[in-house]
Amino acid sequence: MWFRVGTALLALAGSLATAQELAPWSEQVIRRHVDMATLAGPLDKEQLQVLAAQGEVLFTGRFTTADGAGRPMATQAIIPTKRSRPVDAAFQRLAGPDANACSSCHFEPVAGGAGPFTANAFVSEGFESADFDTLDPQFSNERNTNHLFGAGLIELLAREMTADLRRQRREGQIKARDGGEPVRLALSSKGVDFGHLVVDPDGTIDNSEIDGVDADLTVRPFSQKGVFASLRQFTINAMNSHHGMQAAERFGVRWTGTPDFDEDGHGDELTPGDISALVAFQATLPPPGRFAPDDAAWRDAAARGEVFFSAIGCAECHRPSLPLKSIAFADPAPFDGAGTLRTTEVETAAVYDLALLAWATKLERNDAGDYLVPLFGDLKRHIMTDNEVSVFGNELLAQRFVERSVFITAELWGVASTDPYGHRGDMTTLDEVIRAHGGAGRASRDAYVAASEADRSALIAFLQTLKIEP
Amino acid sequence: MSRARTICLGVALALASMPAAAEPAAAPTGDVPDFIDDAEAAGITHAYTGPWEFFVGGGVAAFDCDGDRRPDLFLAGGTSPAQLMRNASETGGPLRFDAVPLDVDAKELEKITGAYPLDVDNDGVLDLFVLRLGRNLLLRGEGDCRFRKANDLWAFDGGNDWTTAFAATFEAGQQFPTLAIGNYVDRKAPGAPFGTCADSWLARPAPGDAPSYSDQSPLSPSYCTLSMLFTDWNQSGVPALRVTNDRQYYRGGQEQLWNVEPGARPRLFTAGEGWQHLSIWGMGIAEADLDADGYPEYALTSMGDTKLQQLDAEAEDGLPVYSDIAFQRGATAQRPYQGEDYRPSTGWHSQFADVNNDGLFDLFIAKGNVEAMPEFAAYDPDNLLLGQWDGRFVEVGGAAGLAADTRGRGAAIVDLNLDGMLDIVVVNRNAPIGLFRNRGVRTEWGHMPMGNWIAIELEQPDINKVAIGARVSVKTGNRTVTRTIAVGGGHASGQLGFVHAGLGTAERAEVRIKWPDGEWSHTYRVFANNFVRIERSAPAAGYWLPPPKP
Repeated sequence: MWFRVGTALLALAGSLATAQELAPWSEQVIRRHVDMATLAGPLDKEQLQVLAAQGEVLFTGRFTTADGAGRPMATQAIIPTKRSRPVDAAFQRLAGPDANACSSCHFEPVAGGAGPFTANAFVSEGFESADFDTLDPQFSNERNTNHLFGAGLIELLAREMTADLRRQRREGQIKARDGGEPVRLALSSKGVDFGHLVVDPDGTIDNSEIDGVDADLTVRPFSQKGVFASLRQFTINAMNSHHGMQAAERFGVRWTGTPDFDEDGHGDELTPGDISALVAFQATLPPPGRFAPDDAAWRDAAARGEVFFSAIGCAECHRPSLPLKSIAFADPAPFDGAGTLRTTEVETAAVYDLALLAWATKLERNDAGDYLVPLFGDLKRHIMTDNEVSVFGNELLAQRFVERSVFITAELWGVASTDPYGHRGDMTTLDEVIRAHGGAGRASRDAYVAASEADRSALIAFLQTLKIEP
Repeated sequence: MSRARTICLGVALALASMPAAAEPAAAPTGDVPDFIDDAEAAGITHAYTGPWEFFVGGGVAAFDCDGDRRPDLFLAGGTSPAQLMRNASETGGPLRFDAVPLDVDAKELEKITGAYPLDVDNDGVLDLFVLRLGRNLLLRGEGDCRFRKANDLWAFDGGNDWTTAFAATFEAGQQFPTLAIGNYVDRKAPGAPFGTCADSWLARPAPGDAPSYSDQSPLSPSYCTLSMLFTDWNQSGVPALRVTNDRQYYRGGQEQLWNVEPGARPRLFTAGEGWQHLSIWGMGIAEADLDADGYPEYALTSMGDTKLQQLDAEAEDGLPVYSDIAFQRGATAQRPYQGEDYRPSTGWHSQFADVNNDGLFDLFIAKGNVEAMPEFAAYDPDNLLLGQWDGRFVEVGGAAGLAADTRGRGAAIVDLNLDGMLDIVVVNRNAPIGLFRNRGVRTEWGHMPMGNWIAIELEQPDINKVAIGARVSVKTGNRTVTRTIAVGGGHASGQLGFVHAGLGTAERAEVRIKWPDGEWSHTYRVFANNFVRIERSAPAAGYWLPPPKP
């Protein structure tokens, strides 16, 4: 736990939760549902800490059937989808539910962290062949567990980038309309280029030159593929997929006609307030930092490695930092679709001001006052294979319209704490995963391979300083 | 229609006392959209007026006449002049329309009962078929909402009947559309109006490089038709002509299904082929494939109960045998759902659409007394039946703000302000039109959006550019919902433009098109809450941006 909840805060928790008295020995994880009505506008520090602590309880709790865990008649799909027949086994590694708690996989070095190969998840749409108990890759992609430290900052960066890209599109649209000529505009945000867009005067657009972002210009920063826009969206997906805990805001009466879509005898298993608590916990996790080794040789090597990292082009995608204008995290988020509570569905969104947290004071700022988020990423998708180096193309299924060979740039912050590597978690060393870069990473990879042993070692020394230090 | 309808009274009263009506009204599980009537504020003052001949009709054509993709409106007026209203609504804002003068003889803008948009000459600009008491009109669209009468240009006589229905299709091998023109009572025949239905007509284009409709053949017998629709009821790829007729005036008539094979004379499906005798006060046809089995269901409005027809699962394959599932599905809508008038309803325009974007078809029915028929409800509000996940429909017309005390006739369900939520235009007899803007779900603090959606525009090269007859298949997860692009049906009202589909919680969809010639497209991947364009053979769907909000 990254902060302790005192007695006063526990008392405050009562005001955030709906009353539900349970015996101390109850086998339920959810002792109180969080009341969404208490979450509007900016939360003060205590309120935020309490909410995040509630979220940590839900993140680390091993859900039971008394909570509504399990989904006997629903698949793992992100769109409410019925099974064709009751499930044989309550748990199943492929189609899920496959975990008791979020922290069953996200646990290294602490809750909210990454997971080893044993904690891999299996990604399938959940629409076809949902019940097959097989690891055949034609039915699912195997994915290593990402860490969530700094996830709030990541989402905020993505929101600002989405807003930038859409603003550029709107400006191009107006220019094309007013000028009567097609406009070819460059899409770019925070120094990251996303290709071009051609807008005709009548508003039709040619998106064939868009690069690294979806055609709706929503930057989706989460998952190895980069296909989820918000922590809230991903949380709802994961709660259903991995635990069979269904959020009312997607699986409830409004969208399915029943409060108990999975037919396990429990309705509205997770309230919007519960999801907010989970989001608050994840969004407030501190960003990974830079470990300062006691060993002078390591320090020297890391310094040389960081220079080499940029020199061979790694930093073109693994950007050391991206500027962020605001670290006020509004929840619900502005760019989600129906089925994930949207900003437009509440009178006043809650605001988790990350500046209230101690770790925020450590974030560097540029001359414009922007926070510099040291993610070592660009929140952009790239083709990661070519004809010669195709290790990352080891999947058979596209995911949510993103082809097999395409992945979002892995943020390297925390990489020293989150081995193994690669989207499948099947590479045990940094050297292996660097050598696996094809496609957009090929030139840098080749430079690394061709470099001296000393330079390669220095690069590893640098990467080994990017630690999660909760 | 103004004469006493004693025949129907017993039947209608029996329906009005059906058990379902006595049960407490079911509550919908999904979002109930909140509509506000913007007509007056939008600058539209229009009513459908006139004597007996205009008790029926009262249609609206919703289509883009100036190339900005905002739906414009052509409103039939009966004895009042028809009006063309250019849509000047801001994206997502209140509705606003400007009247556009029509360069058509003023007399010919009167006695209009309805209108349907279509592209007759394949020039990419929508034209209008205008239904009249007297000579029908073909108005050629010239862009910027300018129209020119093209009856002579296209050798279309227009007739001198009381036209109340229309449908169009592109038959295989034809460059131009085939027109079906539905007529009502022959007022000049001996013994009129009872038993004197005028023939309806089928106008096929003559061979050549320009439309020519000099060759028209009667669809005889005709039974006082009030709606007709080309529909591929059996997935044969050759649409048949479904016709609904008003039993008030025919003698020995019934509902009809014409087999319209290319190059052959139209032929009625017979009892020997499974077609079952059904006699109703047929006013409007709506089509939707509710169960996604590839075979459409039909909602037929009438006096008293609405019919909801589904191919009978027990019948021999390939026969047009239908069972009525309206009662099981809660869609009979046989009497007013609110107020204290318990007399049976009178239904007119019917249309399936997803007005709350939950991914389920909803059913709108325009309602209203013929004029002052004492056996039927005087206060007869329009219905909005929300589709439910159990396959039933639940009435929400009152909660949605649609329960106006008007005599509804024709209608269109169309996104007028391009906000992704369908609005509703209703033409009323002797009263201002209803221009109902969908504001989403009402809350204590304002309105919130409903489900995700997608709007799809199709384009073919050369012939049938707007792809009449195409089937649009939208897949989200395991669910597939199909819509057919059609010109016809409803009550004297037609629309063309974006095909709207609610997506519920899906943020992506896979779209496939079965083009009118039967060829399936590959799968197009699209993101929700966008307007997309699919050009035939294009590798990917394009997007279209509505004008930015100021």
